[in-house]
Amino acid sequence: MRRLAAVLLTAALTLTACASADTPGEIEDGPDVLRVLAGSEVKDLEPLLARAADQAGVRLALSYAGTLDGAERVASGGADGSYDAIWFSSNRYLSLIDGANARLSTQTKVMASPVVLGLTAAKARELGWDGRPVTWSDIADAAREGRFTFGMTNPASSNSGFSALVGVTAALSDADGALDAARITSVTPRLKEFFSAQRLTAGSSGWLADAYVRQGGVDGLVNYESVLLGLGARLPEPLTLIYPTDGVVTADYPLTLLASAAPEKKALYDKAAAWLRSTPVQQEIMTTTFRRPIVPSVRPDARFGTAQLLELPFPNRRAAADGLIDAYLNQVSVPSQALFVLDTSGSMAGARIDGLRQALVALTGADTSASGTFSRFRNREKVTMIPFNSAPAAPEEFTLPEKAPEPVLRQIRGFAEGLREGGGTAIYDGLRVAYERAGEQLAAAPGSYTSVVLMTDGENTEGADYAAFEAFYRALPAEQRRVRTFVVLFGESDVAEMTKLAALTGGATFDARTGSLAAAFKEIRGYQ
Amino acid sequence: MKRWVGVVLALVLGAVVVVAVVWDNGGGEPELKVVRGVIGSEKKPFFDDPRVRAAFAEHGLRVEVDTAGSRQIATEVDLGRYGFAFPSSAPAAEKIKADRKAARTFSPFYSPMAVATFEPIVGILTRAGVVKGQVFDVKKYLELVAGGARWDRLPGNTAYPARKRVLLTTTDIRTSNSASMYLALTSYVANGEDVVNAPGQIDAVARAVAPTFLDQGYSESSSEAPFEDYLALGAGKTPMVMIYEAQYAARIFAGDGSIRPDMRLLYPAPTVLSKHTLVPFDADAVKVGELLTGDPELTALAARHGFRTGDPKAFADLAAQHGAPVAADLVDVVEPPTFDRLEELIAGIERLYASNAVPAS
Repeated sequence: MRRLAAVLLTAALTLTACASADTPGEIEDGPDVLRVLAGSEVKDLEPLLARAADQAGVRLALSYAGTLDGAERVASGGADGSYDAIWFSSNRYLSLIDGANARLSTQTKVMASPVVLGLTAAKARELGWDGRPVTWSDIADAAREGRFTFGMTNPASSNSGFSALVGVTAALSDADGALDAARITSVTPRLKEFFSAQRLTAGSSGWLADAYVRQGGVDGLVNYESVLLGLGARLPEPLTLIYPTDGVVTADYPLTLLASAAPEKKALYDKAAAWLRSTPVQQEIMTTTFRRPIVPSVRPDARFGTAQLLELPFPNRRAAADGLIDAYLNQVSVPSQALFVLDTSGSMAGARIDGLRQALVALTGADTSASGTFSRFRNREKVTMIPFNSAPAAPEEFTLPEKAPEPVLRQIRGFAEGLREGGGTAIYDGLRVAYERAGEQLAAAPGSYTSVVLMTDGENTEGADYAAFEAFYRALPAEQRRVRTFVVLFGESDVAEMTKLAALTGGATFDARTGSLAAAFKEIRGYQ
Repeated sequence: MKRWVGVVLALVLGAVVVVAVVWDNGGGEPELKVVRGVIGSEKKPFFDDPRVRAAFAEHGLRVEVDTAGSRQIATEVDLGRYGFAFPSSAPAAEKIKADRKAARTFSPFYSPMAVATFEPIVGILTRAGVVKGQVFDVKKYLELVAGGARWDRLPGNTAYPARKRVLLTTTDIRTSNSASMYLALTSYVANGEDVVNAPGQIDAVARAVAPTFLDQGYSESSSEAPFEDYLALGAGKTPMVMIYEAQYAARIFAGDGSIRPDMRLLYPAPTVLSKHTLVPFDADAVKVGELLTGDPELTALAARHGFRTGDPKAFADLAAQHGAPVAADLVDVVEPPTFDRLEELIAGIERLYASNAVPAS
């Protein structure tokens, strides 16, 4: 037994490398490896999971995917063979997809965290929300009156945003049963009021929290209780958590065996599940990650409060769930403005420019998967295309109408298909044009969530350099400086400089060097 | 159609003589014969119990199990890979027995359907006329559901002012046996206190009971999940949940503290019995069935896992020892519909799930 432990410890040390892979891909298999396709929401458990090898005899190798993306992959059988288990914050959306349940075997809930509102203590006091019962309806009223602002993840990319959307909709519609199309339609005006206070979005809960810590800019976040409690140590003052008395939606993190898993993987799964639910591990999950324990032998400690959390009903039909996300993106959310700065230099010739065209066309509705549908250019969105080579071209603006977006989507498709390569690479001249145009757009529509996507396949060869751009950026008015740049790393782009640029503007980088441009663009849409 | 449990028991049990056979390969570890079975998930803790494994090993057997919903076992699972099927309901077992032309079946243990809830909820439901003592009146409950009752609108309710429909939490009727057992008892009431036994009754009954499933919104696919929510997350998420009595009893008998002082066990009237019925496909599996039915150690262990067995004393003694609030006599027990009728009812409800579909945009 002692010898076995030593072998496993060595294995544990190698886990970190596997587990930190950011893009889903093949995981190195082994006799004691359980390959898990996971949501990024469980990434904070990695230090704990590293000990499973030693303590339970199973190495958990996690690879990450977005909630909806992952759900579609699992339901279509795309995870079979490459993975033995899945671990997202909830299986609820997945279970609504036709055929998904047949892909799943045993499900083991590991922990729980409700999606709630966290506000700065000062704002909570100002609104009179500290220490008295608050409903989602109260929150929607305050939002309509412009008394606070908040950030929330994109419901199509992240479970916390989706859970919040379901909860708010159920509460505001006074729905006492499951949501259906009629209820969603009738509550849309009220949802608009609620989400008029949203000023920050993201494709993942963790990134949203990081952005809030770095830049603030909003009075609080709608997020998992665990994320909000965890922020306490990173902020000058812990957030005040508001638990709406009319109910919440709770994530329960089911570690789920895939039906396709081999018998020996099933044995590993059983070991992992039993270990995760053992009293010491549950205790540690609670203490270190602020999740509520799922086994009755460990009781939630004082940090979780004593208020009874009502669980709101979750849709039981995919059409209702998809209809809700669709309503949020195309009718409810504050209209966004997206500026695309696109490298059309000579080095883009061939497959690269083709890939770029396809990536843009996919966003015009050509990608008919659920995740594709939800990443298309939205009704009411302003899309600005700024191709550049040796110099930026004149920006082309497309504004999608409230209804019947097809004609404008067709125009964007035509524009994308007409992109031609040639010439040099003047990245920062292109980016400067985008920020200037963003300034004009913000002046016309103050408060719109405005962001830039920069796609380049090489280093800057002409025009202003990074330093010049940085000086330009730092001199911009505050509202313009809040425009983030999301950079697609591609081809031979200068990773260090692009990372610096993303950090400067509060954005992020997305790697398309190994995957496709379309996948990177799709992921970025969650941040717009 | 109602039946006393005593009658059921007499049907269920048969005296079996067990011969222990242990192959011993020259003084080393005894070689165990592997028997593979596919079982309802609620019996997995039993088969995983080291004491159960040891008891089988004494008879030269190692029983390995996969879990699946009883409905799946009866319709989808490739039974050729297994020595036996062990679904959680008699109708599913009957179907398997007929399909596989099995000669016999074993019904070593059973558990009535029950409701796990909380003291404040019991108070509210008592005032609403749904609960009397430990009895949950299904007819009154269905009337409440039909009227769209909401917790915060029930008269005199200050203890649980939730803006939620009054609905028992169940598993997904499309996948789970405990939900179909629940359907068996609601359909009995909705069919004018009679077992659904004619195709002509299906449509009206399906429509009458469908809201008890559909209005819940999302429901889980396995019986353990909602009970776990009940235990860990409390009344906010799960004010009352349809369970097998065995789930609750097992927790009490284990003395693990998971049943807290404000938790209550109720019995629906009428209730149905989930009769765990083993269908053997070969001689080794027959032996498994015989051992489960007749081996004193295994039946005692089954009682520890909360099941009622052929020896009523085993369960009663444990209940007395732990002060478990389990019913001594189950009087209002009805038979479930046959497999085919139950399938038609489920299909009827499935159609209602689909008919409410909305376009995504």
